[in-house]
Amino acid sequence: MLVTILVAGIAIGAIYAMIGLSYNMMYSTSKVVSFTPGQLGMIGAVFGAWFIGVLEVPLWLGFLGAMGVAVAYGFFTELVAVRPVLKSIEQHLYVLTTLAAALMIQQVVAIWWGTDPRPFPTLFGLGAGLASEKYWLPVVACFLAFIGLELFYRKTLWGAAFIAVAEDAEASRALGIPDVRIRVVSYCLAGFIGALAGFMGGQLLLAFFALGATLTFYGFVPIAMGGIGSNRGALIGGFFLGILQQAANYFVGGVFVGVVTFAVFITLLLLVPRGLFGSAVARRV
Amino acid sequence: MMPTGLEAIASTDLPPLTRQRPRALWAAAAVIGLAVLLPAGVNQYWMQIGTLAFVYWVLIAGLDLIIGYAGQLAVGFVGLLAIGAYTASILCEKASWPAFAALAAAGAAGALFGFLVGLPSLRLKGFYFAMTTLGFSTIVTQVALGWERLTGGGIGLPGPMFPAPLDSPVGFYYLALGMALLATYLLRNVAFSNFGRGLVAVRDAEVAAEAMGVPITRLKLVTFTLSGILAGMAGALFAARQTYITPDAFTFDLSVLFFIMVLIGGRGRIVGPMIGTLILTLLPEIAAPLVMWSNFLYAVLLLLVVLIVPGGIAAFLERLFVKTAKGEGLDAPAPERLNAVLGQHASPKVLTLQGVALHFGGVRALDGVDVAVRPGTVHGLIGPNGSGKTTLLNAVSGFYAANSGRIVFGEADLAARPSADRAALGIARTFQTPRVVGNLSVLENAMLGAYRQFTTSFPAVALGSRHGVIEDRAIRQRAADALAAVGLRRLAHLRAEQLQHTEQRFLEIARCLVMQPSILLLDEPAAGLSHDEIEHLQALIEHIRSLGVAILLVEHHADLVFQVSDEVTVLDVGRVLAHGAPAEVRINPEVINAYLGA
Amino acid sequence: MSVALVAVPAWTQSSAPPLKIGWLAALTGPNSTPGIGQDRGIRYAADQINKASGVMGRKIEIVSRDTQGDPTKAVNAALEVINNDKVEFTIGPTNSGECLATQPVIARYKVPSFPIGVVDSLIDTVKFPYSFRVSNNNTQWQESVLSYALKVLKAKKIGIIGDTTGYGTMSVNLSEQLLKAQGATITYKGLVEASQTDVMADLRKAQSSGAEVMVVWTDSAGLNSRLMNARAELNWNVPFVGHPVLGAGAVKPLLAKPENWKNVYNVGYRPMSFDDNGKLPEKSQKFVDTVSSAGVRLDDTMLWWVGLGVDTIQLIKDTVEAAKSSKADDVKRVLEAGKTFNGVYCTSCTYSPTNHNGYPTDDVVMNRADSFRAGAYAIAPGYGK
Repeated sequence: MLVTILVAGIAIGAIYAMIGLSYNMMYSTSKVVSFTPGQLGMIGAVFGAWFIGVLEVPLWLGFLGAMGVAVAYGFFTELVAVRPVLKSIEQHLYVLTTLAAALMIQQVVAIWWGTDPRPFPTLFGLGAGLASEKYWLPVVACFLAFIGLELFYRKTLWGAAFIAVAEDAEASRALGIPDVRIRVVSYCLAGFIGALAGFMGGQLLLAFFALGATLTFYGFVPIAMGGIGSNRGALIGGFFLGILQQAANYFVGGVFVGVVTFAVFITLLLLVPRGLFGSAVARRV
Repeated sequence: MMPTGLEAIASTDLPPLTRQRPRALWAAAAVIGLAVLLPAGVNQYWMQIGTLAFVYWVLIAGLDLIIGYAGQLAVGFVGLLAIGAYTASILCEKASWPAFAALAAAGAAGALFGFLVGLPSLRLKGFYFAMTTLGFSTIVTQVALGWERLTGGGIGLPGPMFPAPLDSPVGFYYLALGMALLATYLLRNVAFSNFGRGLVAVRDAEVAAEAMGVPITRLKLVTFTLSGILAGMAGALFAARQTYITPDAFTFDLSVLFFIMVLIGGRGRIVGPMIGTLILTLLPEIAAPLVMWSNFLYAVLLLLVVLIVPGGIAAFLERLFVKTAKGEGLDAPAPERLNAVLGQHASPKVLTLQGVALHFGGVRALDGVDVAVRPGTVHGLIGPNGSGKTTLLNAVSGFYAANSGRIVFGEADLAARPSADRAALGIARTFQTPRVVGNLSVLENAMLGAYRQFTTSFPAVALGSRHGVIEDRAIRQRAADALAAVGLRRLAHLRAEQLQHTEQRFLEIARCLVMQPSILLLDEPAAGLSHDEIEHLQALIEHIRSLGVAILLVEHHADLVFQVSDEVTVLDVGRVLAHGAPAEVRINPEVINAYLGA
Repeated sequence: MSVALVAVPAWTQSSAPPLKIGWLAALTGPNSTPGIGQDRGIRYAADQINKASGVMGRKIEIVSRDTQGDPTKAVNAALEVINNDKVEFTIGPTNSGECLATQPVIARYKVPSFPIGVVDSLIDTVKFPYSFRVSNNNTQWQESVLSYALKVLKAKKIGIIGDTTGYGTMSVNLSEQLLKAQGATITYKGLVEASQTDVMADLRKAQSSGAEVMVVWTDSAGLNSRLMNARAELNWNVPFVGHPVLGAGAVKPLLAKPENWKNVYNVGYRPMSFDDNGKLPEKSQKFVDTVSSAGVRLDDTMLWWVGLGVDTIQLIKDTVEAAKSSKADDVKRVLEAGKTFNGVYCTSCTYSPTNHNGYPTDDVVMNRADSFRAGAYAIAPGYGK
């Protein structure tokens, strides 16, 4: 009983955490909280299923294909939905533009792929039962992504540039750092991470057009709890949410699980608007 | 917004609001006439589409206040529609309430939940707030689905039935039209009032709004409550129009549609969102073959509106129909108009700072400062950059809390009071970078200064109280006088964002004057001013002083400070370096060393 | 007065006004699969009738509107086809939620309607006097499923599981009610969100409760397949009995192993079921052959949807011809007169002034889900014959 809850919870939690990492990546260079990370997960699942399951290309090619679509979508998001509205960021117009971008891809996929969840192919065929790859693939991917990002930020020049742009885009530009290019790269990278979540989690989630909305919300909860910008918070929050969700489904079940999740989330957000690991508010006057 | 009726502002007796907008009124009358006659000309299908548009408009009118005026991104508003619909339906079906009573109850339920939805907006912004509204709407539909005994669960329940003749399609059409007109009336009253201006100020220049004493929390919550009432009643009408409601009628797509209806019309406008509502209710019916793509097209529309026409249809129309005069610069100021503005109202109070210290982390911005400003005097505050001048102003106006020492104004100890209270105490200030509300006219910006003096309550204003109109007129007159006093008379009807930088500085001063303050805090008002403009400024300051107002002048223009001040304090690294009459301070060797130079 | 046997010249035939039938269906979006199938049947039947002599010389014109499963769109569409296109009959909508909203609206205009939703309250001779149902209602599905569980599978302890949609919640509660009335013990009752990825925990709970049969009420192919996969992973050989979609073509590719589809019984219709010898009833087989050769696809839909569409059109034709009029009151009178309509799906469809549900309860039977072939299923074991 409890083992199932733990295993399933950690697996789905890893998916949520990776979506959270995607949120953070986009936020890091633009201070924009985007509506698109969930859709990136959906792209990973749907296009992975299409390339490998329907077109039957080899695994590595299908993986690259799905990631490619997501990276392109990330590029599109930055270009169309973020860059034009950065100047008036206090008006939060990016909420509307990224929402529009998210809805657009969701509808296109709904029309092209269909509205029923379709199967996601078994990738390696490893493990069975609770040790099946569908449970540990997301977890492995999540940790690899997290470690990769830590190394990137701490050890590489690009990573340092990312941090610089995140702290002060204008100052970075004055130093000669190509802030626009970095932002574009960060959105493409966010696309990759989000799609990774959907691809590795595809066997759990199935290839379903409506995944985007679910993942956008459940991937945001770790961010809200952990504070945006904190990858560590995203991980902890993600796992916590995944386990909580599975436990609630088991012990309570039914409609009210969703209600309770939302209600708890809103309450938490009101109590700790910056999140548990979040940064302090900037000077206003 | 307002026409460039230059004649209107020239006379001191301002014509009533309605006469300033004949074109808009005729257009409104034509639209209403069309709406009334519609059932005679079209079949029941088109009439029912019209009914739906009216029902949506009742909700959109309220949502316009929230998104358009208050600038809160309430993306998930369909939950309030659902609450109104279910409240009315349950009361009629299960408790046999008469339909109109159920309609009122739906409004009350909407008020309660509108208030609850508004609470997060006090702490959360942008994406976070949008998410909470989405969460709220999801909770509502889930509860509607799960609480079967009350709501019928997935099967839903019949909607309310209004008494004859309102239960026929034609009768109900007129009921919906009537409600839509009522909603428009409420929206218009609030939008053109003190509260409407306050909302836009909070949206676009929150710091300035706070300094004007706008009670931000109360204003936001009361706006959400009114929107909730409208949404709730719209819900009841929606249920009656559908004759049967189920949870799957209240989709996320509908929330997005509502959102677009406001945006496409233009934020902070009325006619625009009305047109937007009509178009977007009609569109799916005309573009039936495209129904599969409808959600995609709405998303594209949302993107296009935000990127290309952020002002919406209203801005587009404005560009076509309303000529905007270019700013012609300042007039000569007419200080004698100040008497009309300030009159005898400035109550004399002394501002005293004793041993005030303020640090940020390790930095001691203020390190034990003593200053006293007496009524009817100008107290100059000078010093090098980083000496703590602006910090001191921020401490007095309540944006920073002093770590130690006392700040007393008259009888009141300011430490205990929040920043929004400063205006009520008679403390007015300008900002280093002018903070004006770009989307309001110059006149409306000036009127903001008197926000706190407006006594008519929100509900009374919404219902069109005569008292509110009279008060508004009086404040408008005072603002006109203030603008004339500072020399902005001819620019009164421009949008504040069309003013040049220096003109905006004078606008800030006018706004402060309208507040009828006891003390005026000026933060580097001469920065960027030409020689002539500085002379105007000096004359203005002297006249304000002569009417008994205390003035604390933070400045870098040493000449101006020494010419106009009665006392001068020099700050350096957070401490008072020198203090006294201008002549003394000017020749003080330490001051010359630290700041003035040889 | 007898009908004058006058040969009507061809040129007068073609100038008779078309018989417009409104067809409100969710043709795109979620829950569009049934509508798509029914649409094929409706258009096929209309084409065949028009190729012959039409309905009393009038050609059938199908005025179709895609409602996308949205009740507001459905109401608007109903208003449109009735007021703008002046249809004389309506078929659909295809989802219960939409039907609940459109029934009162259509009734107000006194247009004879044939809704395609299972919710019982959709048909009411007092509230909707001109509304008749050709398909089964929810009680018929429930009775078939539950009596199979109790009488054929001889279970005493039942577990019920459904999704959190309106239909799912309602069906689960209804099953609970009916089972309790028949003295069965309900050891597990659960609701799962259709999009929930992992259902192991829910099934494990059901398993440990000692359920001998699981009654399943969800129309989500994804959820159905996940329930079956989880059942296999738990090595729990409990029979699944329930909703038709348990056997939908969409379920098959979602199964981890083909044998997960065994021991699953979805509710279906005797006329559309293969008997123990693997044969459809003769009339149905002829129907399959005829429509297949006319190009109608059956392998990706369910035969009964197509049959339902065909039967509804045919019923309208027969009724109008018997009444010699398409006026609402004449149609109502003829339908309520109790003459049996022999369709291909609704083989003996009868109405009366107090009953507007036409489908014979005995024809609602259980099928073996894994026996899907060309839109039809094998009848479940235990039905005899």
